[in-house]
Amino acid sequence: MTHLHIPDGVLPLVLWAPGLAVALLLLALSALALRGANRQRVAYQGALGALVLAVMAVEVPLGPLEYHLTLMGPVGVLLGPAGAFQVAFVASAILALVGHGGLTVVGLNAMVLGAGSALARPAYALLAGRLGPAPAMACATAVTQLVSGALWLAVVAAGMHAGGTGAHRLRLFAAFAFPLWLVGIVVEALVAWGIAGFIARVRPDLLPGGKAATEGAS
Amino acid sequence: MINTLAQIDHVASAGRTPWHRASALSKLVVATLLVLLAVFAPSLALLAWLYGAAWLLVLTARLPWRLSVAASAYPLLFALLFVLARWDGTAGTPLRLLLRPLTASLAAVWLVGTTPYPDLFAPLSRVLPRSVGDGLFLTYRALFDLMGRTSGLLRALRLRGGATGSARRRLTLAGEGLATMVLYGFERSQRLYAVMLMRGHSGRVCGCRHFAEWTRSDLLVAGAGLVVVAGAVALWGMP
Repeated sequence: MTHLHIPDGVLPLVLWAPGLAVALLLLALSALALRGANRQRVAYQGALGALVLAVMAVEVPLGPLEYHLTLMGPVGVLLGPAGAFQVAFVASAILALVGHGGLTVVGLNAMVLGAGSALARPAYALLAGRLGPAPAMACATAVTQLVSGALWLAVVAAGMHAGGTGAHRLRLFAAFAFPLWLVGIVVEALVAWGIAGFIARVRPDLLPGGKAATEGAS
Repeated sequence: MINTLAQIDHVASAGRTPWHRASALSKLVVATLLVLLAVFAPSLALLAWLYGAAWLLVLTARLPWRLSVAASAYPLLFALLFVLARWDGTAGTPLRLLLRPLTASLAAVWLVGTTPYPDLFAPLSRVLPRSVGDGLFLTYRALFDLMGRTSGLLRALRLRGGATGSARRRLTLAGEGLATMVLYGFERSQRLYAVMLMRGHSGRVCGCRHFAEWTRSDLLVAGAGLVVVAGAVALWGMP
């Protein structure tokens, strides 16, 4: 649901303009945070950004529903807050250029995706020691979806409220969106469980705090 | 979505209209102008004018109309949500809510359908932080490769029984499959970085400088921009 990118012209200026300004500020801060990072990291970020866009296009059948993943939770764990926010911005910008989401609301769309994934690494770091990589990644992804979904709902509800939508219709919208939000949390968390389980077996050094697979063998 | 993107990418490079020959910078200015006018337009007549102008740009760029409809119709679903939420019994409010995003997305489709991605990202990368600007190029470059692999992977999962069993099993298996894509992405980034170093990478993916090379076709773009602005001035105060 969080990657149902908001198009141009449906939100008021008071919402999208500050959103764009804050996103650009966060982008500058993220660039500062990654100033000394290895240049290969940018290529890795690019590959993960492309994977995010690729999975957004693929439908995962869930009974009567077709679900589109975002993978922003695992990306947040693998890249950390600064890198994940940059990936969210780049993905939103590329999508906006093909009409999927608005150009003026790139900032808000990036913040919806990026805010949750910025919390993924801290949540993972907190839980990985106690639960192990796979459950910790699943929980971190659930946190990501929880935050991003809440932000998406808040932005859309604020946009509707600013446009004069009454409380009754807002409640109807929330009643419709809430179950989809819950489904999104569970689906993304289970996929993230599989991702972390596999990476922990094959390339644990890619996970935060993970040691190289060859270390144990030697 | 990616299929649409791939087709747009192809026509952007293969197109031979004056719009394709014009510089990326002038088209970026006109597309931004169209988007901002659509977002702020108070009158329905102006929105209709802008929507017509956007279609005229798309059609004269010889972008396949089906592709243009598919790419520009994406905001419909989301805009319908707002139409329902703000339904007031008039035709004006829903039309405004639909025409704004449709015009903006058509303008974006015209821009990307006439501009190859290195030219389009080059001016953007100059105003964005270095890692984000580079990220635009590298993400786009990796996109089609990873998209092909991801769909192949999910097809293989289905064929090998990965789509059967409980939802928990299916999703965890899909996650394990996607983890191979993460590993592939990591190894790909190592190879790509090595290639970049071999080619004399200076620490920044700059893109080419064609984006600001003016041609005679830019006069056409400037003319289109002026016509759009003139229409906007004339129709701004209309209902």
